[in-house]
Amino acid sequence: MIKMPFKTLRLMMYVFIGGYCVFILTPLSWMVFTAFKKRGEIFANPSGLPNELYFGNFERVFSSGIGTYFLNSLITSVFSVTGIVAISTLAAYALARIPFKGRMWVYMFIVASYAVPLHAVLVPMFQLLDGFGLLNTLAGLILPYIAFGIPFTVILLYAFFLEFPKDLEEAAKLDGCSQLRTVFFIVLPLSKPALLSAAIFQVVFVWNEFLIALLILTSKEVKTLPLGLTSFQGQYSSDWGAIMAAVLLSALPIVALYLAMQKHFVRSLTGMGK
Amino acid sequence: MTVLLEQESAARRATPSSIFGTSSIFGWFMVLPALSLFALFILVPFIQTLVYSLYKFGLTSPTKQFVGFSHYLEIVQDDVFWIAFENNIIIAITGIILQIGVGLLLAAILDRGIKRGKSVISAIIFMPIVISTIAIGLLWRLVFDPNTGMIEELFFNMGWSTPMRGWLGDPDIALYAIIFVGFWQYTGFMMIILLAAMQGIPRELYEAAKLDGAGPILSFFNVTLPELRNVLIVCVLITVISAFKVFDLVYVLTSGGPGNSTQVMGSYIVQNAFTIGRMGYANAVSVVLLVIALGLGIVQLRTSRRDR
Repeated sequence: MIKMPFKTLRLMMYVFIGGYCVFILTPLSWMVFTAFKKRGEIFANPSGLPNELYFGNFERVFSSGIGTYFLNSLITSVFSVTGIVAISTLAAYALARIPFKGRMWVYMFIVASYAVPLHAVLVPMFQLLDGFGLLNTLAGLILPYIAFGIPFTVILLYAFFLEFPKDLEEAAKLDGCSQLRTVFFIVLPLSKPALLSAAIFQVVFVWNEFLIALLILTSKEVKTLPLGLTSFQGQYSSDWGAIMAAVLLSALPIVALYLAMQKHFVRSLTGMGK
Repeated sequence: MTVLLEQESAARRATPSSIFGTSSIFGWFMVLPALSLFALFILVPFIQTLVYSLYKFGLTSPTKQFVGFSHYLEIVQDDVFWIAFENNIIIAITGIILQIGVGLLLAAILDRGIKRGKSVISAIIFMPIVISTIAIGLLWRLVFDPNTGMIEELFFNMGWSTPMRGWLGDPDIALYAIIFVGFWQYTGFMMIILLAAMQGIPRELYEAAKLDGAGPILSFFNVTLPELRNVLIVCVLITVISAFKVFDLVYVLTSGGPGNSTQVMGSYIVQNAFTIGRMGYANAVSVVLLVIALGLGIVQLRTSRRDR
């Protein structure tokens, strides 16, 4: 193995990682610049800073309805993630703490459903939603999002509840607390960080989900952001200023949430490699 | 992802202890909402996919005609299916080399190489993971655009030639353009997993290696890599499984074109079912995908068991 002075190696590491950060940031900053450029400038000066801040692209995007897509994504995310976390918490707690009969079967079933890829059940799911009259409704998105979000969340929370200290539950019992009350007033408040990690991971998933939305949403009033973006692309074809303004607006809330909650987000992801 | 497999075996060994004693009704009551949604949206569609693959029917012609296994015989002779299958495999192999390789290097540097700016650097590198693949695909279409694209400009300035039909329009290049975007988006994901694992390596091992005269490069190969063996296997499996799930990026960048050169199994299923309207055939391709996914799941289960 080559031996080299530690300082040179450290310098090379900084250069490499700095270069990699530039590689990540260049397209992102390019998106921001393009969103503030006039059409002519995008062609004349593709990669430079904008000469002046031009807001026309954003005006066009707002007037063609990104607000509706935003609202739809927000409603879908709130209901889906609340549903996922509530249902998964109950199931994970029961599986980890209550020795009921058939528990192992339920757990195996959940692990097995995690392996089922979404693509592979598309046609029957489409027909199911059609049968319920849920095509072109947000409820038609929310229900499958909850179903597909549960396995990962149950698995994540199951690990947490297995390690939850027993003493607290015992103390509650001595004080005459019922099992249901113990779950709601003792266990849940102490599980907030775990629930938050699980929720944030699902927010990212639901906010960005595209395939189910593509299949079941056709009218403009119910489209979510990722789907809305593809229709902007069709509408403005090569109006890159407007497209990048729309992309920027759709990414901003999730990036802001991620930066604020980075710790929780990373925790939910590192669970995968444990 | 392995977390679930480890827990599965942990759950088998351990009996959950409740101070409230056994209460089947209460337990079932709590898992009921999860189970009913699963049954409805995962189990029932799963079984229907198997059954429907034996029938011929369309989006607009819902009458089903039983055709037995003829869809499967057709798959064997379907060139586009094999292109899609091969593309999924190419995406998996390049993903292992690029995403895990570079992710490992980045994690090692963040773990032991540098002291300052760690949280800012990791925030930057993770960022593409939270942005929707559709948004990222649109952004990269701009980057690859033959008229205004950054890559075009870079190549022009360097005096290199660029493909005649653009980066996404050339059937020999388009798949690699998609792979490049995937690399940009997901390497940070591998980095997080590997970094978390590296931080769990006992520091004494590094100190011992240092006493033996090992520099940082030697201790990476003699301490870090062997300690990461299991996590690296997990990363390879995650990469292969996600390679077979690719859809959004292909949809927004090329829709499987030009020709069928960037078709993957996911896009081929969607195209057959909802564009061409061959629902039964799409289901047969889905079954092949399910078999692969469940096969990979079993491999993962075995790997995590052997380590115990």
